[in-house]
Amino acid sequence: MKELINLTKLFINDSLGLSLFFYNRTNNKKEFSKQLFTLIIVPIALIPAFFFYVFFMIALYTGLKVIDQTSVFLSAGYIFISFLIIVFGIMYILSVFYFSKNTEELISLPITPRKIIISKFASILIFEYAFAALLFVPVLIIYGVGEGMGLGYAILALVVLLTLPLLPLSLETALIMLIMRSSRVKGRKDFLQIIFVFLAIALVIGVQFWFGTQVSSSAEVDFQILLNSLLTNNESLLNSIGYFFPSSFLVAWGLNRLTLMSVVWIFSLVLITTLSFGFMVFIGERFYFTSLVSGKIARKGRTLSGIERGKFLGKKGHGAMAIFSMDMRLLLRTPVYFFNNVSVVIIVPLVLLVSLSFAELSPENINGVREFYREMPMVINFMFIGFFVFFGGTSATTATTFSREGKASWLTRIVPVSASDQIIGRTASALIVQSLGILCTLIGVYFFMPLTLTTVLLTVIMGLIGSLPILLFGLFIDMNRPLLDWDNPQKAVKNNMNVMITLFIGMFYVVMLIAICGALGYFVNQWVSYAVYIIVSLIITIAFYKKINKDLEKRLLAF
Amino acid sequence: MLKLQQVSKTYGNKNIKAVDNISFEVNPGEIFGFVGPNGAGKTTTIKMMVSLLKPDTGKIFINGIDNQENILEAKKQFSYVPDNPELFEKIKGLEYLKFMADVYEVPTTERQKLIEKYLDIFEIKEAVNDPIGSYSHGMKQKLALVGALIHNPEVFILDEPMVGLDPKASFELKKIMREHCDQGKSVFFSTHVLDVAEKICDRIAIINKGKIIEVGTMDEIRAKAGSHESLENIFLELTE
Ligand SMILES: Nc1ncnc2c1ncn2[C@@H]1O[C@H](COP(=O)(O)OP(=O)(O)O)[C@@H](O)[C@H]1O
Ligand SMILES: [Mg+2]
Repeated sequence: MKELINLTKLFINDSLGLSLFFYNRTNNKKEFSKQLFTLIIVPIALIPAFFFYVFFMIALYTGLKVIDQTSVFLSAGYIFISFLIIVFGIMYILSVFYFSKNTEELISLPITPRKIIISKFASILIFEYAFAALLFVPVLIIYGVGEGMGLGYAILALVVLLTLPLLPLSLETALIMLIMRSSRVKGRKDFLQIIFVFLAIALVIGVQFWFGTQVSSSAEVDFQILLNSLLTNNESLLNSIGYFFPSSFLVAWGLNRLTLMSVVWIFSLVLITTLSFGFMVFIGERFYFTSLVSGKIARKGRTLSGIERGKFLGKKGHGAMAIFSMDMRLLLRTPVYFFNNVSVVIIVPLVLLVSLSFAELSPENINGVREFYREMPMVINFMFIGFFVFFGGTSATTATTFSREGKASWLTRIVPVSASDQIIGRTASALIVQSLGILCTLIGVYFFMPLTLTTVLLTVIMGLIGSLPILLFGLFIDMNRPLLDWDNPQKAVKNNMNVMITLFIGMFYVVMLIAICGALGYFVNQWVSYAVYIIVSLIITIAFYKKINKDLEKRLLAF
Repeated sequence: MLKLQQVSKTYGNKNIKAVDNISFEVNPGEIFGFVGPNGAGKTTTIKMMVSLLKPDTGKIFINGIDNQENILEAKKQFSYVPDNPELFEKIKGLEYLKFMADVYEVPTTERQKLIEKYLDIFEIKEAVNDPIGSYSHGMKQKLALVGALIHNPEVFILDEPMVGLDPKASFELKKIMREHCDQGKSVFFSTHVLDVAEKICDRIAIINKGKIIEVGTMDEIRAKAGSHESLENIFLELTE
């Protein structure tokens, strides 16, 4: 047991970088205060979201109470949270079990595989417990207080809370281990990871659509009526979701009304959870380590002939081009990077398009929009520009450009590439990604509304120019505080505050700019507004370019 | 060729200096060994030479260029292979070499000739189309060596190069180092094994706890060793 706890601590420490954090406290004050700041500011930023969630849940409960349907409240909350745990769990499980390097080091030590599996799992579970508690405890309290429940409820509720993340995570982990062991997976780890994440997204989108189609039959917007129709007209709705989460029935039977049977139901829940956990350990012992060893085999290219090598090496290339192609390759070939920085520009337009086609716009509506576009093209233009800049800002490609290189960044720092080549190469890869998003959007929109050539040209050019200030700002931030000390690429983009900083400031900036230019266009002239927009963007771009160009070489010395 | 003047470096806000006021000079045509036990400050010194760390005080000149004043120009004068080359795992060997050839502006014919030559010498031709993530430690080191050699730099800086190389590669590397110096250029490398330094270096510097203890040819240093107790102790630590 002690060994298990120690191992779990080790894995948590490893994933959070705690040792370095405490080392910095005594030995590197500056770094320490930076980390501490992040540690404090992120939870504070999430407080409003938490309150919003609690209020929403209270509203939901009150709404249900009015129509006398509070019995679904607990299972709805339970299903919702389980669903979130499953969706987020995919990346988490993959990175702890398959993408972290510490397993290889541990394999050779005299520790039983079972202990490694259990403690790895526990290191995920701890965070999921915190997550589940934060979301589920309000639900339990709201219901308990609302129904005037007593001590018995509190105890059983606690037991349910304890099983909540354990059950779905065990089954999910076992499933992932089974998939990863398949022989076709060998050497395709990266590819598989992308597939997994797309699956998770498809799941979320799918559930939303399905939910949407179930609800849309009752067109009323009134929350009360909506709930009512959800529950009465669509009796099947909650039930059919329930079938995906059969344990939610046990929760409902056990907690909704306290009887002697409650204990039996909750006990069966505990039993099922324990069995699932045992099943996961069983599968893990059988397959995890063997698939890990064979999964290490990277796919190899074929041997090249001398002529092919010579052809590839080609002619002398430009420094900016070399930086650009390296950056692009890393973006496209590292699943987490691909996912965070590239896939957004394909998924967002796609989702938008699909939702539009589901929205069943009547011909009058479409004509109305077209009419509006003819009369006020500027409004539509700025909408598109804002959307395009959004791609540039949210992908935050430049905000992690140095961070993504991690420990291999020494190479970037010793090679004699001028600051301007670095800026151009790294900004270019972000622009390419963004252009992909623009292209996807324009193609999608084409099916609904023919755009004039002026609009296409204006929005593309202004979308790209308008995002340059954000891209360079991201580069500036990452140059000043790169996150290089990671062993799992996920940290470079997910634990990186630079993304958040760039996102918030960038979005704020572009909303302001478009609001001001939009007002100018409305009250003065649309061409004046476009000109102002372009001039402001260019001035800020040049200012940042000059600043980075001046400082970069010196900053690279001090990463 | 390579000159350090009173260079010091402290990490974080620790009190111990990792490198403490060191000065020495490497002449053209010279293989210079930087010898010291683990934790002596070798890697720290080298990182300051290759612009990966900023010295707290002191100056470093590479081929006469101050590497803090004229950073970009200084970077063109050397090539560097770290003790543990972490390379981009997703990049293929050949893509890495093309990158190096491009950023060091190696002309078309020369890059092809040199890359073929060194790939043959280090026997990694078969692997260049594979992602670096699939390489062994030694193969990564060899690839980094090839990448460092293709632009024929004025100073060739290597951190513990013999660790992790097989005997043949290590033999070839020594030969290449000698050829490099015969062109009037220099090689600077660190090692914690006195034997290695003794066999191939023209001159060596001995560093311990951040301070330079002696600089000179092996014979000069040996001669002093008798009268110099701390040197005697270091010798013991450095002999396998
Ligand atoms: N990143 C670092 N942070 C703090 N201390 C370091 C760091 N790198 C090296 N040191 C310390 O500096 C000293 C010299 O280390 P190093 O230059 O790596 O020695 P060598 O290469 O000779 O073995 C050691 O005491 C080591 O603990
Ligand atoms: Mg060292």
